[in-house]
Amino acid sequence: MPGVYFTTTEFLDDAKSAAKDRGMPGIRMIALPADKYYRARATDAELQPIAAAVFDQMVDDLVRPLTAEEAKPSQIQKQHENTNIKVTGTDYEDAYQKVNDLFLDSRWADGLPIVPPTPKLVKAMLAATTRSPDEVVGQVAPKNGTATVEKIAVNSVMAGAKPEYFPVILAAMDGFVDKHFDLTHVQASTGSFTPVVIVNGPLAKELNFNSGIGMLGHGWRANSTVGRALRLSLLNIGQTWPAVNDMALTGRFEAYTFFTFAEDEAKSPWEPYHVSLGYKPEDSTVMVATSGNPLVLGGGAVAPWTAQGILNTVVERTSNVVFGWVHSQTYILVLHPDCAYELSKLGYTRKSLQEWLYEHTSIPYEKLITATSGFGHASEIDEIQQSIADGRIRPDRAQVFKDALKPGGKVPIVQSPDDFHIVVAGGSPGYTLLFSYPGPNWAHETKKITGATLTKAGH
Amino acid sequence: MKRNTNWLLATALLVVGLCVAGTAAAQVTLEVMDPRGEIPPPPTIGINPRVPELAGKKIVLVDNGKFGADNFLDVIAQILKEKYPSATIVMYPKPSAQTITDMPKWYPTVKQQGDLFIFGVGD
Repeated sequence: MPGVYFTTTEFLDDAKSAAKDRGMPGIRMIALPADKYYRARATDAELQPIAAAVFDQMVDDLVRPLTAEEAKPSQIQKQHENTNIKVTGTDYEDAYQKVNDLFLDSRWADGLPIVPPTPKLVKAMLAATTRSPDEVVGQVAPKNGTATVEKIAVNSVMAGAKPEYFPVILAAMDGFVDKHFDLTHVQASTGSFTPVVIVNGPLAKELNFNSGIGMLGHGWRANSTVGRALRLSLLNIGQTWPAVNDMALTGRFEAYTFFTFAEDEAKSPWEPYHVSLGYKPEDSTVMVATSGNPLVLGGGAVAPWTAQGILNTVVERTSNVVFGWVHSQTYILVLHPDCAYELSKLGYTRKSLQEWLYEHTSIPYEKLITATSGFGHASEIDEIQQSIADGRIRPDRAQVFKDALKPGGKVPIVQSPDDFHIVVAGGSPGYTLLFSYPGPNWAHETKKITGATLTKAGH
Repeated sequence: MKRNTNWLLATALLVVGLCVAGTAAAQVTLEVMDPRGEIPPPPTIGINPRVPELAGKKIVLVDNGKFGADNFLDVIAQILKEKYPSATIVMYPKPSAQTITDMPKWYPTVKQQGDLFIFGVGD
């Protein structure tokens, strides 16, 4: 079926990249002027001159006979051979600089200098795991580059990670490439979604992950370089680049190291997060999830707060239909130790807190009747019914939503209570953080860390 | 005299050789590994042959779900109707926020509904 594809000048490179990725480099595209289109798109009247200006080109693209190349394009060639690269300098510093120039100019790095991934350093990284260098961990979106254990090791060296961290990095990559995880969205979306990476279990302590004051900041090598190793792996193996096929309009928060931290299990009044998922206390795990920028709740060191007040704010913000799509996939509530302690004193367990949040954030049916969602068109009720029909709302939860879609009903904002993931971390005093992901697809996975050879935990 | 010249030439060559060797010895080569994932190139596919003209054709306008795309396609539809009154315009429903990633599943239906398609606006 012949057709034509409209995009805008800001997204033309992205569109061409996607067409090539799918083996259709010849798709005829028309790029509307971005500086005019986005300002005019609210009304037909304002769009009229923009559409009129490209109409003849559109017709021509639909009737103009194909060139030979369009009809039968040349086979797209493999982008590169997987061979080592030799860089020579007058001395070590010169060679080091030239390696960095090569990597940064070729878009193989994140804009910061890298550690040259020499075979010797990569071998040392690989020695930290029992997993084979040739093992295919999975395909990395959006270009579906093949992530082998060795490729992830190369990127981990570049990030400055210690070999001891490597099993954590591998487990996190296991999560990102899981078939259920929508990696394309966090890699390419126009929204500023960013991965959250949370480490649990004895390995977190052994590797000195920060889970207290400054846990999202700089200074801790484990937090910083594990996050950066993942950033570089996703960038180089999935092959994304800002404004080419990573279209985050304002960039991604914590773009260099992601939101990488550990749960402070010692200060938690409850069992470790991973134990609540069914793992053993002696297991170590890493959770990866997609999130928007977190809400910061509580008074920190400067203002009074109450645990119940923080919960009330969570309810207020999440059950506001303007805040996001209903039945969001994931919330990650990071309680600072004082808040967790206060909630524990009030009698909450992690499970009862999840149930409290599930119940109190549910939205009255009457409030949803007039609400629209997503891009401002479909009604929330239609969205939910569609989600039940197409299985996005899991079959075992569908009846709950069907029952709620009637007068007097209350529609949950997540599919089940355990979609509120609750961990304890941060300073004392501290702030509570609420990470959220509005979907539309599944984007969180927890994986067990295995195969470690250099640490007491994580075997 | 000739012996002296040969001796001087040999000395000069030795000095030059030592300098070259010295330069080579001072160079450092770093061998590094490629960080990029290998991407199996997809089989390429040509685009479909065009139509000779739009008159009398069924044209499906496919909204990609983003804000304003429906407005833009509305205007395109208006101009099409003016210029090609014998063409049939089919507006494909705007996807919802939750189903936007399912759009590829719709393409067979789009194909059944018309002769041509116009897709927009990405993004």
